[in-house]
Amino acid sequence: MAAVSQLQRQFVDYTTSLYNEEYLDDQFTQLQKLQDESNPDFVVEVVSLFFEDSEKLLNNLATALQQTSVDYKQVDSHVHQFKGSSSSIGAKRVTNVCVHFRNFCEEKNLDGCLRCLQQVKHEYILVRTKLEALFRLEQQILQAGGSVPVME
Amino acid sequence: MAAKENKGSYVISRSSNTRMASFIKRIFVKIHSAVNSWERNHSLCRRKSLHRDVEQEELQHANTNCLSSYYSVFVARLAIMVMLAILIGLLTLLTWHFTKVYTRTSLNALAYGLRYELLQRPVLRMWSVLNSTVEITTAQVKISEYVMRKYDKPENQAQQVELYEVMRDVTWALFASHRALNSITIKYKNGFVQAFHRDPRDNSTYYIYNDLTNYTMAGPYEVNASSSHQGWNDQTIRSNISAIWYREPLDPDTGEKIGKQKAIAPDELINIAGISQVPYGAASWHVAVSKFTNSPLLSAAMPVRDASQESIVAVVGVTTSLYSVGQLMKELVGFHSGHIYLTSQEGWLLATSSTTPLLTNTSTGPKLMMAVDSQDPVIQTGAKWLLKAYGNKPPPSHEVHIEHAKLGNQLYYIDSFFLNLKRLPMVGVLIIPRKYIMGKVDERAFKTLMILISASVCILVIGCVCIFVLTNGVSKEMKLRAELISHLDARRKAEASSNFKSQFLANMSHELRTPMAAVIGLLDILISDECLTDEQHETISQIRRCSTALLRLLNNILDISKVESGKLVLEEADFDMGRELEGLVDMLSVQCKNHNVETIIDLSDDMPKVVQGDSARVVQIFANLISNSIKFTTSGYIILRGWCEDPHSFVENGNFSLTRKALWPGPKNKLIQQKSQEKSSCKKDNRVILWFEVDDTGCGIDPSKWESVFESFEQADPSTTRLHGGTGLGLCIVRTLVNKMGGEIRVVKKNGPGTLMQLYLLLGTSEDIPLENYKLKYADHNLKVVLALNGSMCRINLSKWLSKIGVHTWDACEWNELTHILQELFIPPSRYTQNLTYECSKVESISKQEMEASVFIIVVDIGMLNLSTDIWKEQLNFLDIFYRSAKFAWVLNHDTSNTIKIELHNRGHMLVVNEPLYKTKMIHIIEAAIKERSISLRHGILGGDTHELLEIDNVHSDPESSNDSEKSELNSSSTGIVQVELTRRTLSSSNYGIVNNCFLEPTEVSSGRNKSGPNEPFPVAVNGGSSQEKRMTSNGQKSLEGVRILLAEDTPILQRVATIMLEKMGATVVVVGDGVQAVEALQNPMESGTTTQTKMQDPPQYDLILMDCQMPKMDGYEATKAIRRAEMGTRLHIPIVALTAHAMSSDEAKCLEVGMDAYLTKPIDCKLMVSTILSLTKLQPNSLIISSIK
Repeated sequence: MAAVSQLQRQFVDYTTSLYNEEYLDDQFTQLQKLQDESNPDFVVEVVSLFFEDSEKLLNNLATALQQTSVDYKQVDSHVHQFKGSSSSIGAKRVTNVCVHFRNFCEEKNLDGCLRCLQQVKHEYILVRTKLEALFRLEQQILQAGGSVPVME
Repeated sequence: MAAKENKGSYVISRSSNTRMASFIKRIFVKIHSAVNSWERNHSLCRRKSLHRDVEQEELQHANTNCLSSYYSVFVARLAIMVMLAILIGLLTLLTWHFTKVYTRTSLNALAYGLRYELLQRPVLRMWSVLNSTVEITTAQVKISEYVMRKYDKPENQAQQVELYEVMRDVTWALFASHRALNSITIKYKNGFVQAFHRDPRDNSTYYIYNDLTNYTMAGPYEVNASSSHQGWNDQTIRSNISAIWYREPLDPDTGEKIGKQKAIAPDELINIAGISQVPYGAASWHVAVSKFTNSPLLSAAMPVRDASQESIVAVVGVTTSLYSVGQLMKELVGFHSGHIYLTSQEGWLLATSSTTPLLTNTSTGPKLMMAVDSQDPVIQTGAKWLLKAYGNKPPPSHEVHIEHAKLGNQLYYIDSFFLNLKRLPMVGVLIIPRKYIMGKVDERAFKTLMILISASVCILVIGCVCIFVLTNGVSKEMKLRAELISHLDARRKAEASSNFKSQFLANMSHELRTPMAAVIGLLDILISDECLTDEQHETISQIRRCSTALLRLLNNILDISKVESGKLVLEEADFDMGRELEGLVDMLSVQCKNHNVETIIDLSDDMPKVVQGDSARVVQIFANLISNSIKFTTSGYIILRGWCEDPHSFVENGNFSLTRKALWPGPKNKLIQQKSQEKSSCKKDNRVILWFEVDDTGCGIDPSKWESVFESFEQADPSTTRLHGGTGLGLCIVRTLVNKMGGEIRVVKKNGPGTLMQLYLLLGTSEDIPLENYKLKYADHNLKVVLALNGSMCRINLSKWLSKIGVHTWDACEWNELTHILQELFIPPSRYTQNLTYECSKVESISKQEMEASVFIIVVDIGMLNLSTDIWKEQLNFLDIFYRSAKFAWVLNHDTSNTIKIELHNRGHMLVVNEPLYKTKMIHIIEAAIKERSISLRHGILGGDTHELLEIDNVHSDPESSNDSEKSELNSSSTGIVQVELTRRTLSSSNYGIVNNCFLEPTEVSSGRNKSGPNEPFPVAVNGGSSQEKRMTSNGQKSLEGVRILLAEDTPILQRVATIMLEKMGATVVVVGDGVQAVEALQNPMESGTTTQTKMQDPPQYDLILMDCQMPKMDGYEATKAIRRAEMGTRLHIPIVALTAHAMSSDEAKCLEVGMDAYLTKPIDCKLMVSTILSLTKLQPNSLIISSIK
């Protein structure tokens, strides 16, 4: 049981750090609150949906920006979508970068866009690893027979 | 010649310069920063000032770009000049150099020859002198040998003497034949000496002999022969000294003795060559000096041998003066120039070209002089120079050729030759002043250089001037261009900043407006709170007013910035112009009442009912104009006139004079032009010009300000801000909007006080709606109307119109007049009373023919009654007499007290309208009257309650105007109308939001009444949030129980999240992926989503739609439009909530414009979403109930 409590403490610390470092925001808490018996894997499901969606979007963005004549409208709509999905799961930093990205799109600043693409990729990978780690931790707690602590 | 050449090359250099210029420019631009400071120092005054200007500009704009180009011109110009200078300088130098060098080399060659020649000649002379000396010596020796052999071994004295005589003769012959000889001496073995000597001083010739001691007695010609065999020794020679010497002057030509012999002192003696001078028995020579001549002597000595060739019997000495060499030198020098001197190898001076003495007198007699000690300064310095240059080690060949020896202040050529004679090597030195050979050349070269330099300087100056003149144009152009660029830059910046400002304002004011709306909404809640003290209520009302003012200001700013940032897009939609304007007047008249001002709307009948355009903006135009008029009008009236000018059927309207139209020639032409364009593009769209006038009796505008009042932030009189407040934006917005609608606005001259604004709008009419001909419509009803109205303008207008459509009218402006009219009309003639009884079916049954005869309507302004006292009840009682005979219509004020309303209601006066009374209201009154009569005819005895309700319902639902705020108080008292009101509200809620959005005082219209929201101009989510939230929390989690929601969202994540959220709240969610599906889902509920879990029973399958704005195939806006189109004609109105990640204000506006009811931003806030949904869905049941009742 000591192991479980330790894991739980670790989980709480980790989650707090994620919030403090602004990887996640309240939206994620809301998601977690939505998870109940009827939807036990809701958060994981949504987040993995986000991952799939993001991979696709990032690829689209990369190809769109490699064109000789960049269709900023298209890029913008991709980024918009990305912003929507990231904000929905509460990946705050990704959302923030998306906002910058859109500004560059409006300015039609290719350099800025490319820079932002790198940044958004970076942020996305970061948040993905963080979330995956979080889920692993959650799994471990569940396997150890404990319950996942609820964040307030 | 050189200058000419120079000029030629200059031309070439010019052309090459231009070619090089660009290249140079590039280089110079690169280094121009380094050059800058230097250039600044070098620039002219004018340029300096320019620099200063430029620097100032630099400070202002930091416009390095134009500055660098500006500098580059200067740099290029400078570079060209420098290049030119360098080229010309080079050319000059080269020309000068080559001419000089060639001349010099040829001259040098010549000079060398000359010098060589010059030096060679004295040397040759020297040589010849030497040769001749040697020859003479040899000849003398040979002759002597011959003679002596003849007299070999003289036996006696006589023979000896004879020998000497012969020798003397022979010698004389030789001596005389060679005039250059200085002397010939013969010294015999025995010490006897015979000598001939020429004294150059007095040109006399002497014969010198000695008298030996042993021959003293024997006479002068005796020679001691015995001693001839004795050896030569020093003693004999020395004994000579002791001998007596004699000298005989001779005739130089003949050799005859011309004088007596004289004994001379030994030191007076000339040099006698002795045996010591021929030490090796061979001929020898050396340089000697004598006191008789001031030039050195060359003396040669040779031994005379006897026949056996064994012993020397005598020594012959010959001296030659070197004077002739010096003479030659003098001649040469005299002819040419310079100095020549000859020295021995040791440096003893032998001959010079100068006249200075060659010998020094010492105590021991004259001595040779060293060249360095010569008194001639040139020779001396030359010798010294040579000594200094070569020291004691002369070059091996002794040949020296120096061209630039500086002696004193002059340059000299120094050449020396070496004459290598055996025993007497000689060195000849020639010193020629350079001036002699090169003088002219140098002078010429110097002159040429001077000329070249001055010529090139001239050319340079001219060239520079030319370049300056030529490039001046370019630089001016550059300057202008730079200025232009900077101006453009400045303008661009200014535009950008203005644009930024507009955009900022557009965004900001929206952000400001939203909380303002919340503030106002909350204040409304607070005001409606019962438990406030009067004081608090007062304060809150004050706050409310201030907030409204602030909001109005914000709206203005939003509008103006929207227009400025070019975001304003007019929509094209059908709307009822008349209804909108009437609603507006209704609303604004409330304000008017405070001022005791009449508000009248007078739209001509020919105006098309439905026009296409942006109704909100049209209303805004008039709202601004009328509120402006209200502001400045304290008494009198404000009339909004409108008429139509259709280019097809141009009907002259009686109300307006032709002259006014003549002032505006533009629109018709414009329209015709447009027509032709439209025709060409095959558009069937009709366009009409709608004319409007806003006429007031206010303070008026000064004619000089008629144009400027439309500028932003302009007010006709600066003091108005103090008096009336306002931003001065209103009219600017109006003009912008009018212009956008293809119209114009201007202030028109008016008779009497006040302002007359005239404008026209170019609006489309979708179809030709047949104009209602009221004249025909009401003709058979035989209408009779009594107008008892306070406002004279209104009354006059209405009565004019009524009489025009064939309705008989009576005017009354006060109570007494009304009573008169009524009494006149009804009391005396029994026919009217009969008519009246017919009308009221309850009382008496009257024949149908009479009933149809006429309809009496009495329109009474509530202001007619004396409300200050209780007399009004009496007055009502009086009017009750006519109740049965005529239909009463009451015109109420917005501040009419409830007691009066209740009283009217109780007395059965159901037909009430609010001020201001205008045409449409009049028509409703008439129609209601006609209808009532027909109904009462039809139903006969049926109770009044039902149909009264219906009547009023009809009256009110038709106009759909926005005057509900005034009615609200009435409604609260008369329960029968409440439901109707509600119905109307829900019905009109779809377009209500849009209409109100553009009103100046949107919240004032709906103030104090609705917390639930659909009438609010802002998203429900904001306004209704607080109250809804409470409800939700009290209801617990399942606050959305039973609500069916269609979620249109393409992002799977959001789909999932939103679904879960909503389902948690108990809602039923159907998810679709895009707009097309959403529309389909609404149209064919069975075919659509397979995920549908509920049965679709009721016509509206969903209670609410959550619509993402950005979706593939069809986005949220399009989908909403499609849905709203589909709803048109039905009574359905599905609330649509936008779901967007756009946080921009324009998006919100866009959402609301396309017909959405509220909007939520991503990420979804659960509470906000629930409250929004609740606020939109909870209304629905009410409306459904009412619609089902109906």
